[in-house]
Amino acid sequence: MATTEDRFTETDDLTNQMSVENLATQEMVLNVGPQHPATHGVFRLLATIDGEILTDAEPVIGYMHRGYEKLVEARDYRQITNLVSRMDWLSGINNELPLALAIEQLMGLEVPPRAQYLRVILCEMNRILNHLMFFASFGAELGAITPTFYAFREREDIQRVMEDTTGGRMHFGFFRPGGLKEDVPRGFYASALAGVRQVIDRLPDYENLLVGNEIFKGRTIDVGVLDKQTAFNYGVSGPIARGSGIDMDVRKDEPYLVYDHFDWEVSTAPNGDCFDRFWVLVHEVVESAKIVEQAIEGIPSGPILGKVPRVVQIPEGEAYIRTENPLGELGFYLISDGDKKPYRMKIRTPSYNNVSCLPAVLRGTLVSDMIAILGSFFFVLGDIDR
Amino acid sequence: MPVTERVSAEDALERVRSALGDNVTELHVNHGHVDLVCDPAKLVDVVRTLRDADGLRFEFFTFLSAVDRTEFGGGDGEKAGGLEVLIHLYSPQYVAHVTLHVPVALEGSTCPSITDLFLGALWHERETHEMFGIDFEGHPKLVNLYLPEDFAGNPLRRSFKLPSRNIKEWPGAKDPEEAAAGGR
Repeated sequence: MATTEDRFTETDDLTNQMSVENLATQEMVLNVGPQHPATHGVFRLLATIDGEILTDAEPVIGYMHRGYEKLVEARDYRQITNLVSRMDWLSGINNELPLALAIEQLMGLEVPPRAQYLRVILCEMNRILNHLMFFASFGAELGAITPTFYAFREREDIQRVMEDTTGGRMHFGFFRPGGLKEDVPRGFYASALAGVRQVIDRLPDYENLLVGNEIFKGRTIDVGVLDKQTAFNYGVSGPIARGSGIDMDVRKDEPYLVYDHFDWEVSTAPNGDCFDRFWVLVHEVVESAKIVEQAIEGIPSGPILGKVPRVVQIPEGEAYIRTENPLGELGFYLISDGDKKPYRMKIRTPSYNNVSCLPAVLRGTLVSDMIAILGSFFFVLGDIDR
Repeated sequence: MPVTERVSAEDALERVRSALGDNVTELHVNHGHVDLVCDPAKLVDVVRTLRDADGLRFEFFTFLSAVDRTEFGGGDGEKAGGLEVLIHLYSPQYVAHVTLHVPVALEGSTCPSITDLFLGALWHERETHEMFGIDFEGHPKLVNLYLPEDFAGNPLRRSFKLPSRNIKEWPGAKDPEEAAAGGR
């Protein structure tokens, strides 16, 4: 086989030899992470590249594995609430919900309507916080730093309401089997409403900063396309799936709490590219705000904790309970043998399944699109590694 | 895919029964989901039928994991079982769930891989492999997902004790009465 050097010396037809087909190239492995600003944590990607094209991509995870599924087997149910709150640190209160629901389902506990409404309000405010964070980070990853400041300003008002209510900014530990830890403080409704209304009022402007921007469009439209079939095959859910035209939302399909009392819509977009995923994310903020407004309007009075035995001890049985986390389907498969702690609890997190399809999406794309695609998968490392 | 028809758990059970017949046992409804036990040898065919058959269309891969039931019910042996692989699928079209329980051997555990049917199982099988020591036959690259390559043991087996528990029991008492008696 002729070496590159031979080619240059042996032939006169240099132009022909310099064409891309005849240049001797080889694949190389580009290591991204585990410490990389665009990966939201310790996420590593082994990208095999041929020139500018990614021929393969292998996510390497586990740098933050904390072994939750083993830890929960040695803790009682009250302790687990605080543990699962730390899985997806951007949506703590949403993580506590399926655990509370699973315990209630297996114990047959009644949750008072007021507690259900408050759970909806807190979960949706947490969803807005989560989505605004990804709104900010996705812009920043594509080089647009301005939306970050706006998003964080809006987040702060809602964040303060959450803090006043629960005492925490990230890990709330507020849901209990049977209801809530305590009632909301005075002035909660007014400040919560003011917070979400402000987001709805200002969001169109912010959205326009990115969605209406030609550079942003150029970097996201038709980039990193995830088709419907692949999404199903990998179990992709949440805004990522809905960005691929999959009309699937646990809150609508199998309404839990009181989600069927409200008038709201599932946002979907048809193309499955980075732009559509982002579009869905932004529009879900508006829908969440609508739910919060309606829930505050219709909230009944009454107790916030149902009749719960002093010791949470679950009778023998098993159930899979799922809810719509901001990033997708979060479910707990809880197996109890009648003890005060779970016999086994499988935690099905959204980011885990969503990120596992990255190789299928990244294959064949350009290196320069990689960060846009990674950013548009809206994942939290704690949610993948558990 | 939009929901075309909401099927009750009992109807879903009948549809699964008529599609799978004798291939599965212990078909029943558990907390609104279809529950069944499937022999490992028939697993791939059963999952394919569940995914492709008209009226079922369990096309959404939720999770694959396992459970070690050797200490179930306190470990006195009466309720205790063996090792089983759990697979959960969801039908977005009919809003139905199915959980498959696949019993596998405790020693030298093997189970056929379903990665040909659901690519989402690639990571789930790797995780179950390292956590429970189950070999998934037909998986393209069955290496550890979370744990380092030289990690010894399978952490989610009941025989694997948490290192801190080997030295000292968890200091927090399980219920208030015990806490008062123990001083903490």
